[in-house]
Amino acid sequence: MTSADERPLRYNEDGNVHLDFHGAVNTTIDFIVSRYGIEAMHEIFARVGKDVYRDIRGHLLAGDADELVRHWQHFFEREHADFDIAVGPDEIVLTVRRCPAWHHVNKIAPSVSPHFCDQTIVTNRAMAEGTPFEIDTVITGDGACRQVIRRRA
Amino acid sequence: MIPSDHFTRFYNEVFKFLERQGEADLERYFLEISKNQEKHILELIREKGFEGMRQYWSVIKDEENCDLDIDVNEDRFELRMNLCPSLTKAKDNDAETFGRYCDHCAGWVGPIMDKTGYHLVYDVIDRNKPQCVMRIYKDEAKAREAEMDVRLLMGWPGRKQV
Repeated sequence: MTSADERPLRYNEDGNVHLDFHGAVNTTIDFIVSRYGIEAMHEIFARVGKDVYRDIRGHLLAGDADELVRHWQHFFEREHADFDIAVGPDEIVLTVRRCPAWHHVNKIAPSVSPHFCDQTIVTNRAMAEGTPFEIDTVITGDGACRQVIRRRA
Repeated sequence: MIPSDHFTRFYNEVFKFLERQGEADLERYFLEISKNQEKHILELIREKGFEGMRQYWSVIKDEENCDLDIDVNEDRFELRMNLCPSLTKAKDNDAETFGRYCDHCAGWVGPIMDKTGYHLVYDVIDRNKPQCVMRIYKDEAKAREAEMDVRLLMGWPGRKQV
């Protein structure tokens, strides 16, 4: 029998990473927001949270936040983020001290979109919508944030 | 953060949104991405021609974990994608795959080749299969001749094909 920690993630990429994709996300955010408004951008991020991450959302719906924690651990490690995850009795806190996406865009693009972190805020919110959990995302500085999973009251 | 590994699935959602707005909206986006890509490839092509293309796509092969072969001769640069990780991920997806996902590739490469005086012949082969052949010619007549042999010729903003 395979334990939960050994099961592969739904999306379990390995190999090399292409950080320039974060630059394309930044370009896309500026493009969508300038032509269609911020609501359109949030609609797309919500689709990512609900449809692309349907598997993680399914775990949240079933009362299981561990799959999202494993997802965070895997992908933040892959991109060499400076982060930690604290699992407590009442909440799970992901602290990102250096976000690889924000810092890479800051290096290669003329500017980081003021809506760049909406990808995290809105995708998290959409994943958790209608589940027993809420995910609060607080931007704590340039390329830094805290993401907290709590059971809804 | 949407992991860079998952960019293609985000891209897929953007394409679906833009297609609902209209064809011109999708094309404007391809041009925006093309402009974004210029900072990575334009000077390489202008300064080194086919060798610059080889350098750029060799990095992509490595960073994006592509199974691809590059062949260059006097007349043309050829990239043969044997297994495209981008379409593979867009299809290995709990969200529905955009049916014209492959169009974005010629959509950004084509305008850069137009700008640098090269001639792109993009054979997508089949939009459902993660493989394609991209050929870039110095000579336009040779490009037009090569178009005769492709299975699914892809166009881009400014050059309609399919």
